[in-house]
Order: sequence, then C-alpha cells, then structure tokens
Amino acid sequence: MRAVLGDEDVLTEPIELHLFSKDSSLMRGEPVCVVFPDDAREVSEVVKIAERHGQPIVARGAGTGLAAGASPTSGGIVVVTTAMRDVDIDPENRTAWVGAGVINLDLSKEAEQYGLHFAPDPSSQAACTIGGNVGNNAGGPHCLAEGSTTSHVLGLEVVLAGGEIAVLGGTAPDLPGLDIKGLIVGSEGTLGVVTRVLVRLLPIEPDVRTLLMDFSTVEEAAKTVSDVIAAGLVPAALEMMDQQMVQAVENWLHAGLPTDAAAILLSEVVGETDGVVSQAELIESIARQNRARSIQVAETAEERALLWKGRKSAFGSVAQLAPDYHLHDAVVPRHRLVETLTAIYELAERHGLTMCNVFHAGDGNLHPLIAFDASDEAMNALVHEVGEEIVALCTKVGGSLTGEHGVGLEKRHMMRMNFTEIDLDAQARLKEIFDPLSVFNPDKVLPEGSRCFDFGGGRRELPDGVWV
Amino acid sequence: MTRHPQHVSWLEVELDGGPDYGLAIAPHTLNDLVAVLRYATDNGQTIQVWGGGTHSGFGADVPVDLIVSMEHFAEVEHWEPDDLTILVGAGARIADVEERLAERNQTLVMNERPGPGTVGGSVAAAISSLRRGRLYGVRERVLQVTLVTGDGRIVKSGGRVVKNVTGFDLHRLCVGAFGSLGVIVSVCLKLWSTPPAAATVTIDSLQQGRVITRPLALLEVDGEKQVFLRGTAKEVESQVARLGGRAEPGLLWPEDPSGNFKWSLRVPPKLTEEGVGRLPDGWSYVAIHDVGEIRAASPSLLGAAELREWAEGRGGRLVKTLGQAGEFDPWGTPPPGLDLQRRIIAEFDPGRVINPGRLPGGI
Repeated sequence: MRAVLGDEDVLTEPIELHLFSKDSSLMRGEPVCVVFPDDAREVSEVVKIAERHGQPIVARGAGTGLAAGASPTSGGIVVVTTAMRDVDIDPENRTAWVGAGVINLDLSKEAEQYGLHFAPDPSSQAACTIGGNVGNNAGGPHCLAEGSTTSHVLGLEVVLAGGEIAVLGGTAPDLPGLDIKGLIVGSEGTLGVVTRVLVRLLPIEPDVRTLLMDFSTVEEAAKTVSDVIAAGLVPAALEMMDQQMVQAVENWLHAGLPTDAAAILLSEVVGETDGVVSQAELIESIARQNRARSIQVAETAEERALLWKGRKSAFGSVAQLAPDYHLHDAVVPRHRLVETLTAIYELAERHGLTMCNVFHAGDGNLHPLIAFDASDEAMNALVHEVGEEIVALCTKVGGSLTGEHGVGLEKRHMMRMNFTEIDLDAQARLKEIFDPLSVFNPDKVLPEGSRCFDFGGGRRELPDGVWV
Repeated sequence: MTRHPQHVSWLEVELDGGPDYGLAIAPHTLNDLVAVLRYATDNGQTIQVWGGGTHSGFGADVPVDLIVSMEHFAEVEHWEPDDLTILVGAGARIADVEERLAERNQTLVMNERPGPGTVGGSVAAAISSLRRGRLYGVRERVLQVTLVTGDGRIVKSGGRVVKNVTGFDLHRLCVGAFGSLGVIVSVCLKLWSTPPAAATVTIDSLQQGRVITRPLALLEVDGEKQVFLRGTAKEVESQVARLGGRAEPGLLWPEDPSGNFKWSLRVPPKLTEEGVGRLPDGWSYVAIHDVGEIRAASPSLLGAAELREWAEGRGGRLVKTLGQAGEFDPWGTPPPGLDLQRRIIAEFDPGRVINPGRLPGGI
C-alpha cells in the first residue's frame, strides 16, 4: 500500500486507526489501515490490493454519517476521500466535476461567483463531503422542492471491482442505456468507490422569504403544511420543531423562539421578488387560518441566518439535556404525520424517555431524537429498542426506514419492514454483479441472508391462483 | 417457434395501432402477467410491452412473438393529495390521470401532449415533461416501481413516500430501461402542486426570456420562442410585464413535431441553441432551452448522420424515436459499460424475452 500511495497517505498507528474507527454513529470497527488516495487511479490500486488480500474497503468522507455506513465494522481498509478535492465548474452548463472529498458547503461557496449553488443541504453541510452525499443520497431541508442528491448527480467517476475505473453519465440529458449512476447513488459505498461527481448546479434565486410560525398544537402546524401544499405551493423548505426542541435551542441561541409554542414551522420560499412576496403572503394567511399564534418574516440575511441557525444547530443543542442522543430518520406519508407523532410521544412517555422532534414536515421525514446517557447500559439498550419501535410505527403507516441518513449497519436488520424476500434478493443480485468478492462495505445496507430467495431449481412454486 | 401459443391465446385482444407482428394479449391480473412471463421464459417466446404505443418507435424494431397490452393495469390505485403522491397502474393513460389530478390542482409532471401514452410507457422510455428544467425529468419523479421480471418474480423498489433512501434504487434503473428488467406493473410518482395563475409569453430572443431566473419552461418551437410561467396571480402578472412580448393566459404547450422520422437530440444544456441551428433543412422541432433536449421530426434521414456526429463529439446523442431507419443505428454509439448492463439485465430477464435487441448496443 505504501509503495502505491506513499508513506504519508497510509496510516497504521493504533491511535490513527482509532480516529477512523467510526463515523458519527455509535458503532465502531477496527481497520487494518487508513488510506488517503489522490485520485481514481490510486483508488483503483487500493481496490486491487484489497481484493488480493481479502480485505474489505470502507469509503469515508468526513465521517458525518449517522447510520454507521462509514464505520469499518468488518475491519479492513478505510479509504478516506478528502484528498480528492478538485472543483471544476462549467457555469454555462450549470454543472461541475467535483472530487468526492469536496465539502458540500465549499462547493456552493465556490459556485457563488457564477450565481450558482448545489441544492442538497444536509444539516452537516459545513463538514460533510459530496462523496458522502452521493453515498447516502443525502437530503436536507431544501430537498422538498429540489429533490435529494440523486436529482443533482449527472455523472460519476467510480472505481468498481477489479479496480476498473468507470465514468458514467454526462452533461447531456438522458444518455441511452441503463442509468447505472442512478443505482450507485445512495448505495452507501457497497457497489464501488466514487471518486468524482458531475453535479447539477442551480441558479441562486434572486429573492427569498423565510417565515417562522408558531402554533398551540402540533395538529395546527401539520394542517398548515397540508393546506400550503393544497394551495398549489411547494415551498423551498417546510421544517417543524416541537416544544422540547425549541426550548433546548432557545436556551443557548436566544433567537427569540417562542418556547411556549407546541410546535413551530419554518418555511422558506424562493424565486423572483414578486413571487416570493405573494407566496409568503399566502403562507401567512394559511397559517393564520390555522390559528398561528405569531408569524415572523425574516427581512434581512442576518435575520434569515438566525432563524435557520436554530434549525441547523438543533441536534447540537441537545447536549444540554443529556450527554448523548439517539437520532432516528424515518419517513411517513405526510397525511399520517400527526397520528404518528402522537404515537411516538406516547411511546417515549411510556418508557420515561426525553424525546425531541425536529424534522422535514414538508416531506414527512421525521427525526425523533432521544436524549440519554449512553454510559448507562440498560438505558442504552432501552433507547435502541424504543428507536426500533419508532421506525416500525412509521413503516406500519406506509412509511420508510430512512429518508436521508441511510441504512448503513444500523438499520440493515430492519430492511424486511420495507421489503419482501424477493425484493431483497433482487437487490442482493445487483450487489453480487458489482462486487462478486464482497469487498465494498460488505456488512452494510442488505441484511444477512438477502440472497436466499430461490425458485428451487426445477419446477418452481407458483403463487396461489396462478394458472399455468 | 409457436406463433399462436395455446397457453396464452385466451388472453388475445385487438390492439389499436399495434405492430404487424406477434399475438396481442392482455393479462387481466398480476398472476396472469407472472404466468405469461414464465411461459415466455420457459418457451423462448419474446415479448413487447404495450401501453399506448406512443414510444414503440424507440430502438431497433425487432419483431416479437407476443405483444403484452397493459390495458388492464390502468387503475389509479392510491392518490394521496396531501402527500403529493400517486400510485398508478402502468397502463393508465397520462391524460386520464392528469384530468383527475387537475381537480385538486396537481400534476404528474409528465409529457404535456401524451396522446394515448401511458404512465408506464413514459417511465420505461424515460420521456420527460417540457417543464423538466424547472421541475426535473421523469427519473426524479419516480418514487416506487413494481415490476414482474422476465422470469416472473414480482419485485418492488422504493416506497410510497416523497423522500426515501432505503435500499438500492432499482426503480431508477427501470427508468429508460425499456422493460429490460421486467414489465412495469405500477409506479408511484411524486406529484406537484399547480399554482393558480399561468401564462405563455412569446418573445423575440432567448436573452429576453432569461430575465426570469427559473421559468417553468423556455421553449423554441420551429423558431418561435416562448416562456411558460406559473405562480400566484400577482407573480405571473408582474413577470409578464417584465418579459414584454405577447402574453396569453394558460400554458399553451406545443404538440411534439411530427414527420416520417422522429428524433431526440440530447446535448449539453448550453448547446441547445447551437443544436437548433444545426438541424437539417426541413426538420421541425421543439427545443427545451437550458436543458439540452430537442425533439425533432424529419421527412427523411438526410443530414441525420452529420447531426449525430456533431452531437456525439460533444458528449451528446441523436436518438431515433420513430421511423424505419434501415442500417442507421437508432441509438448511435452505445454507452460505456455495456457488459455491466448485460449482466444486470441477465439477472432480471435471464431468457432475454422482453424487448430483446431494442436497447443500445443491440442488448
């Protein structure tokens, strides 16, 4: 490995390995080495070495993942992408080729000089990398209107099994053939290592209005969300925070958030000035019909930043409540939002747990968060058990396991809540095609035994009622 | 090869405008469809899936044994206006679904002039809306796909929620795959809300149209340039005033151009204007500016090879979407990674019975 990458780009000291032994989840592994390749060619060599020695590869950007997708839980080689940080912007086509290690926010900062930005904006955008965004198909508040990362990836440079370097997709739309890049986005490093990404950039909208509305009940806030959409508007963002979370944030931020409200809604509309003014008026009137207690509209960039700071720093402010938190990421159909939240609160209360909610109300993406002390082992077990129950509640009403954080290791055993054995088998076949030696992040996403569905070789079992 | 196999002949139907080969059948239930596919795989019978027939001109015209009509899979199974989602049978006609959605000011954001085209057909052929520059193409609107694989497995990918990263996005792979992974049975799509006011403004130059940062569409139809606007009444009114030009209320979407041959020219967005300029004499077109898609029609193949050479030299493609082109490859140079594509398809359609030979590279 050192011969290929050079001594400096290969770490093997125990303390160094420990630093890369986990991402932002609580699950840790023991890597054999940590490497920092400069480009696809070097990654290709790393893949060949890994295959030769039967060592798994875990790709990692900034390690902000919350589902252990980048934790080397099967040991092996951690491939850190942060040395791959070229940015090549094509302003006329509104695209850029970006190294996997480029930080999300840095890309938007770089693109600003051309009046462009990268739409996906996860809360961790000041730290997380584009490669990680691609791996997880990351979202963020603004994917309500513009879609998740996959909608902004036009092409990929990826190192596949055998060290083959492939360039997929391109600047022109709808290149014929199967959309393999679309399959790789969101596959959490299990199909190959993405080294460069061709992203779509959007024009920075000329104007923006950010509204903060507070309500006496969660129902009224949720009704406002539905009514806004029924009125023909899809705002750029529609975020909700519950009372517990507002109190935790306001306690240190002092942004004037209403701590006695049952829920606050943060909404943003973007576009031409005439458009955002009339859209903001419409949202205000809908909120008032739903008995909003007060409505603040950010007039300046500073005011807007302050309103958003409350939202984006929400998870950090939980530190005041307890030393650790367990955060879930599940999606429910929007029309089941209120009943699901009620059930989740009841569940937490029954177990005496401190629960906060801050989430993407517009797309039904919940982030129930339990604050607790992880050093208490019994408590740790209880919190994880309740967390799973919450996810089960969401899937029972037609929701999904994860909206933006990924399956990783954390939720792979829950995959059967969303998929049949045949569905999982189909996914496992894709994994086998891309990774026959099971080198790429082998213990992630798909549960054990996924590739077990078998028609039985000879005459196949037919479902009931099938005629032959 | 049996031309009229007894096992499926009881499903036989008359197909309006169907191809002049093969036995047309229409499975009634999912179980019928599973059985048809297993029958086809076991007996080496090839299949073409039939929706409205509007995109059947894509790719090589390879005669098949069975034409499988999806007319009995046309239900709106579940529409959740509050969620902006709809679960709809693949055989549902886009026009019918849009008519229902309009009652609640919602839209599929699929082709505006679909004719008899179906939801499943547009997904399988990756046909996008003219609004794609603002509201994204069909790939970005598909949330879930249920398909029956060539060997008769019922596989579902994605979910019925607008945001979801659970598992591999097999449903994205189905968009533009022309059924090569399986017959699409139902699709869940992300809908969009339609604001109350709309206008179509004819302008003199593209520069004039670009006064608006992100209009619904900036189109050029045989030389006529139009901006499509949608929003609150005040918003549309003031944008119309800023644009100047001749405004008409509503969205006056153009028909797709028609001719003996139809084409889809796909180039990097900034080359849309140049692409329009390079269309041979006598070609009619609808260009989606700032997107890089030009839909065109021509009386003959004259000039197509030169246009293709230009497009491919710039990372684009010229795809034939209708017409008997003989030796002229309908797709042009195949994409990289054909071997990977073959191996993926082999896992889903091991007998290669669905649309064999229709895909790029003759897959």
